[in-house]
Amino acid sequence: MREQHSSPPVIVIGAGIVGTATAAFLAMAGTPVRLLDASAPASGATGAADGAVSVASKRPGPMMTMARAGAALYRELAGQGLFQGLFHKRPTFLVAASDAEADVLSDHSKALGEVGAPVRWLTRDGAADRLPSLTRKVVAVLEVEDEGHAIGYSIVSRLISAARLKVERYCPVASLEYEGRSGRVSGVRVGGAVIEASAVVVAAGGGAGRLIGLPDVSRPRRGQQLVTERAPGLNAALPGSLLSCSYLLSKKHEGEKADARGYGVVIDPLETGQFLIGSTREEGRTIPENDIEAVAHLAASAQEMVPALGQLRILRCFAGIRTATCDGLPMIGRMPGTENLFVAAGFEGDGICLGPLTGRIMADLVRGEEPEMDVSPFDPGRFATGSIAA
Amino acid sequence: MREADIIVVGGGPAGVSAAVEAAKSGLSVVLCEQRPALGGAIHRQPAEGAAPVAALPSLARRWQSLSAKLSASRVEVRTRRAFVGIDSTGAVLIDDRAAGKVEVRRPRALILACGAVERVRPRPGWHLPGVAAAGGLQVMLKEGRVPEGRVLLAGSGPLLLALAAQMTAAGNPPVAVVEEGDPVSRPLAATRLLTHPFILPDMAVLMMPVLLRRFLWRRGTRLTEITQSADMLSARLRAPDGREERFEVDRIGLHDGLRANDFGLTADPPSGLVILRAGDLREVLGAHAAEADGAEAGREAAARLEGRPSCGSRSAMRRHRALQHRLSRIFAPAQGATVLRDCPDETVICRCEGRTIGHLKEQLAGPDAVSARELRLNGRFGMGACQGRFCSEWALSLMSELRRSAGVPASPPDFAETGVCRWPLRPVALSSLANAGIYDDTRTERHIEGISA
Repeated sequence: MREQHSSPPVIVIGAGIVGTATAAFLAMAGTPVRLLDASAPASGATGAADGAVSVASKRPGPMMTMARAGAALYRELAGQGLFQGLFHKRPTFLVAASDAEADVLSDHSKALGEVGAPVRWLTRDGAADRLPSLTRKVVAVLEVEDEGHAIGYSIVSRLISAARLKVERYCPVASLEYEGRSGRVSGVRVGGAVIEASAVVVAAGGGAGRLIGLPDVSRPRRGQQLVTERAPGLNAALPGSLLSCSYLLSKKHEGEKADARGYGVVIDPLETGQFLIGSTREEGRTIPENDIEAVAHLAASAQEMVPALGQLRILRCFAGIRTATCDGLPMIGRMPGTENLFVAAGFEGDGICLGPLTGRIMADLVRGEEPEMDVSPFDPGRFATGSIAA
Repeated sequence: MREADIIVVGGGPAGVSAAVEAAKSGLSVVLCEQRPALGGAIHRQPAEGAAPVAALPSLARRWQSLSAKLSASRVEVRTRRAFVGIDSTGAVLIDDRAAGKVEVRRPRALILACGAVERVRPRPGWHLPGVAAAGGLQVMLKEGRVPEGRVLLAGSGPLLLALAAQMTAAGNPPVAVVEEGDPVSRPLAATRLLTHPFILPDMAVLMMPVLLRRFLWRRGTRLTEITQSADMLSARLRAPDGREERFEVDRIGLHDGLRANDFGLTADPPSGLVILRAGDLREVLGAHAAEADGAEAGREAAARLEGRPSCGSRSAMRRHRALQHRLSRIFAPAQGATVLRDCPDETVICRCEGRTIGHLKEQLAGPDAVSARELRLNGRFGMGACQGRFCSEWALSLMSELRRSAGVPASPPDFAETGVCRWPLRPVALSSLANAGIYDDTRTERHIEGISA
């Protein structure tokens, strides 16, 4: 630690949940760090996320495995105090409305079982009993335990205060600075100045690709959501979030067109007694704004799933821009050929669940320690074709 | 099926005169009003069977005259329809509360004339039951419900005297009007009002019950705290000489001026739709100005749609602005501007969610310089049913007070920075959004129930 004080700090670019967690775990481990954001903390996808800490919603494969570990970390940090009062354990109910959706759900339950997620099918009577507000027009309901909810901006705010970070706001990084021969990153350029760095972590969501020389690696996918007024009775009658199988289908990456719009409804009972209703998946939309067609579609789907929601008032609509990579997996790890440049971006809609875990892994990688899990499936090197600017 | 050329939102003097003027061009005009009847706050119509409250002399007959012009026009009036915003595609969203659906309309021009909202500054105890906005009490009175019991009115501005005069006429004068300004101590400023002779009869009506001592008029006096004891409210007052006084009352009406009702509207709406603002929503200058301003907006909208040079200089507003400026000087607080951070930490700022000055200070206490948006999200200021319509102003001004006292020079952050500029502008039933549909012209009829001639 002593010799680190004489060397420049680690610079983390992006104060969303991933970058903030990285900076916080670095700072808590004693590594000097500066956290820069082009605007303010949680102003991108993190601040517009649905807050699902969910394995149930993940695609089978490395994401599902990592989500299981991500959710476990939330439970651990809630128990230790860092996320106390911010992480709320509750199950997810996957709802199939047709035989075709029930088939999808059946496959999905097997995949969840393989990563060790506790799942159980509800009988028709069981569903009516446990989920009295749910429409009777369902074919199958799968309950997934060990899930939870955490609001992205609250987690970011907690991490900032716990690690006593001073976020450098409105500090957009124009480019990375490289040392001539070694191929190492020497700092970042902000306006006319260069800030020196011993290492750089790019956690800038949709802005990451440009900084690491892979401008085409990701594309935006907008999500629109609604928040209702408080309805404590109705809220208490829903023990967990409801996820339609069309949500799982909307996450599939194959064969989507530009401008395509997917709708997969999620109804989340919030701690405040409100409900969060999400969300669209809109290809290529870069501006976080709401249109009536999408909002009406979400409202209608939610009302179909839980008819009593119809009588509640919607207080606000909001939108966020997810950053999706070409293959649907995030980039987590060291950039090939640049030993002190790291990237953690492209989480699409899974950053809340994976953010704290990713931050801890990134902090380990930057400090030269062995991370707690294998992140090789997310190696950013898979996109690098020798075109990385140096 | 043809969409209207122009939609006017708001059925007060500005909206009605805008609709009437715009329709003179032959363009199709729809006037939407959220209440069951037109009139706005100033000409709020009495509920069925209730006796009307006498209007101020300068306003008497103005509404009849406007209503007659509207009846003679081709304007289509649609009541019980609340404007809930403009979506990202430029669609105008109107909540049809009777039908339980949001109408999605695509006019060529939109005139926003939704008036003003009342400002009520947070004070200890202002959130207690029985404390209301004075303007709210006045609307109640116009609808035919006289505020009962012992009533105290406090704050600043001519509205307090107007309400007191109307309550006196209705048979229940307030116990006292507590005015932060001291209009009598500024005779020179008061004489300047003589340059606006049309308000002199109004002033006579306002001052008559004061002169007849029908209620106490405490000038230069600030209401510093409201507490609840048994079933009464206790108001603590501080006079200019520091003397304190208490009043035990049933109700308290507070008023700290008016603000344009433009909360949540973005400064840069989607292109392709002509949007004009009129009346108090554009600039709070009162009913007379609103009527003139609305007419100009109506003419300007028609001119722009017809490709004629726009005539709208809104120059007539200068005189009204001078009047408002003089009034605000006359009613300037005698004990200096209030400082929110001097209020106790328990003072509520956000009534929807019960968030206090102490909660706000906590958010700003750390070493990190949080932004206005973070303050809203993490502190939950402006996250309740009103979405910040009433508390954002105070949360932001307290934020800049605290910043300045910590040696960080800061002007109050803009509403837009908090991220509150979006639709719906007011809560809408989820089922109405689910039923949202393109406005269907084939089912319409001319709605005239809103006009009480």
